[in-house]
Amino acid sequence: MAMLELTNLCKSFGDLRAVDDLSLTIETGEVFGLLGPNGAGKTTTIHMATGLLVPDSGTVVLNMQGSPADPEVRANIGVAPQALSLYEELTGQENLDFFGSLQGLSGKGLAQRVEASLEFVSLADRRKDLVKSYSGGMKRRLNIAVALIHEPRIVLLDEPTVGVDPQSRNAIFDNILELKAHGVTVVYTTHYMEEAEKLCDRVAIMDNGKILALDSLPGLINAHGGQSVVILEGPDGEKRIETDHPLDEIVKRKDQSDIASFRVERPDLERVFLNLTGRQLRD
Amino acid sequence: MNKIWILAKKDLRLLIRDKTGAFFTFGFPIMYALFFGMIFKNMGGGGPTTMEIIVVDQDQTQASQAFVHKLNESDSTRIVEKNLEEAVELVQKGKKPAYVLIREGYGEAAQNIFGGNPPAFEIGVDPSKRVQSMILEGVLMQHAADNFSRAFSDKDTMSKQIARSRERVTQSEDLNATERVIFSTFFAALDSFMQNAPSGNTTDGEMGGGFGSMTPAVITTKEITQQKTDTGNTFNITFPQSLVWGLMGCAATFGISLVVERVRGTLVRLRMSPISYAQILAGKGLACFICLIAVNGIMLVFGMLVFDLSPNNYPLLVLAILCSSVCFVGIMMLLSVLGKTEASAGGIGWAVLIVMAMLGGGMIPYMFLPDWIKTIASVSPVKWTVIAMEGAIFRGFTLGDMMLPCGVLLGIGVVCFALGARVFRWMES
Repeated sequence: MAMLELTNLCKSFGDLRAVDDLSLTIETGEVFGLLGPNGAGKTTTIHMATGLLVPDSGTVVLNMQGSPADPEVRANIGVAPQALSLYEELTGQENLDFFGSLQGLSGKGLAQRVEASLEFVSLADRRKDLVKSYSGGMKRRLNIAVALIHEPRIVLLDEPTVGVDPQSRNAIFDNILELKAHGVTVVYTTHYMEEAEKLCDRVAIMDNGKILALDSLPGLINAHGGQSVVILEGPDGEKRIETDHPLDEIVKRKDQSDIASFRVERPDLERVFLNLTGRQLRD
Repeated sequence: MNKIWILAKKDLRLLIRDKTGAFFTFGFPIMYALFFGMIFKNMGGGGPTTMEIIVVDQDQTQASQAFVHKLNESDSTRIVEKNLEEAVELVQKGKKPAYVLIREGYGEAAQNIFGGNPPAFEIGVDPSKRVQSMILEGVLMQHAADNFSRAFSDKDTMSKQIARSRERVTQSEDLNATERVIFSTFFAALDSFMQNAPSGNTTDGEMGGGFGSMTPAVITTKEITQQKTDTGNTFNITFPQSLVWGLMGCAATFGISLVVERVRGTLVRLRMSPISYAQILAGKGLACFICLIAVNGIMLVFGMLVFDLSPNNYPLLVLAILCSSVCFVGIMMLLSVLGKTEASAGGIGWAVLIVMAMLGGGMIPYMFLPDWIKTIASVSPVKWTVIAMEGAIFRGFTLGDMMLPCGVLLGIGVVCFALGARVFRWMES
């Protein structure tokens, strides 16, 4: 069942075409990666998907209920924006209390959700501390907790690991996988290939406001990754052999005495992006 | 409403947590409100361009008409003639700063140079405009002195005066024989001097210095209020302006709060919540409103305890404060959506507030403003705020009198808020 349907979305800012005729469908319960370099149009797409921006043309349907511009429909969404959206002069608990109240929670139900959200992102022991005293990683985790306070059916995480330490990044990955296990749909935007590879069931590669490719990870690699590369190192330097069967290539050369070492480069999303756009993702 | 209250509560909590912000919201407005109050209380100097004065001429003699004509020709005054009832009402309502009452008998008294009562004027003055009262007294005294000296320089007038005085000396029962001889001799000598003096008038004031002990006019001043005969104390008069400054200072700090949300990213989260643009703005407005009420409340208590402030009508003062607060909330909510950065929002807020204060008499007393500014001052909520506050504190306004200023204030507030919500929606989408 489709949780989010974007159809022929277009959005321009002056002369800049930020999103250009974008269509995609995100299924319930999947972790969907929106991958692209800075300025590809990911955040604009997220903002239109959440009703924050009105598309110039095209439609957004959420949970088969209608446009997220409708507050009732929007209540299905939880968003962790790229820019931290927290009140630094409030404690972690007060932030959750406030945003939970705005979502219509109150009393015991609110208290339970605050508790569960703090536990989920491992911040229960820092609940009474002002957010301004948190580390960058803790703020990111609280940012996600606020997105989850009202138990949304779909969570949009916009670059949730920007500027966080490896420990917090791993904690965020665990959170996302746990959300998936609970059947929550996750839309994850990033320009880190390894994150998409680790977390996402399907990935859309975006550049210049367009979807260049959309498939599961193996599907994208098969379609756009090219061949594996066997790299042989000997006295004359490196030798690169492109092949669909790297193991066969290695076995074939097992008796050659001039090979000091070898390694295999499998196609990955980085290669997919390079092949699709002609440039590196982080260019 | 619940969500608006949740938003407002959050803003108030943030304000209290930020000690610097709390000082600039509560402490600073009170400080400079009191400062401005003190300045206006002791304000002097600087002449008005023209004062609009009501003249009530109950004498209707040639002398009184000539005096009115002379006043009207003066650069300092512009005259409107009314009856006493109308004059009192206009001053009560603060529409005119003062009236001059020329009572019956003025014409005759003006002839009394050597005896009898001098001409008398009564000035009815708006107690909040004492500077004008003093200027008016000076103008009246000057014109009376001119008349006085003119009489001395006119041979015919003087001859008639001397003849009348000699007759009075002859008929007087209070004088003994010796005194009668002395006065008769003096007036005879003076008459002889006047007969032999060169004919023609001297210039104004040429002879004025020689008659300093004589009084050209008696001026009594009366403060005009409806229910009370006086205004309690002078702080009552300056307090409305203090309240206005308190309102403006507090409102200005809230003018940037929406931009702060935008810059810090929390506005995105608010907009993602199932609430409308108007609710977001209303939440901010409610927090601002509560702070405005708190600031005015603190100032009121402070004024009562320290300055012996004694408002005429507390319920009407509460009404005035509520309406003024609604007005300033609306204005600041409109201005807050226009700024893109904290600096621009703060700049826009203060610029507009200061212009409103200038136009409305919050910085320079209304009387000193040029006529063209007075004409457009009605667009300034500061003017209506001052009127409403003065009405409740010392003018003795009735509920009916409060309807106009309070209605204008509420109207401005509601229109600005609605406009702000529309602009906010338009800008964000």
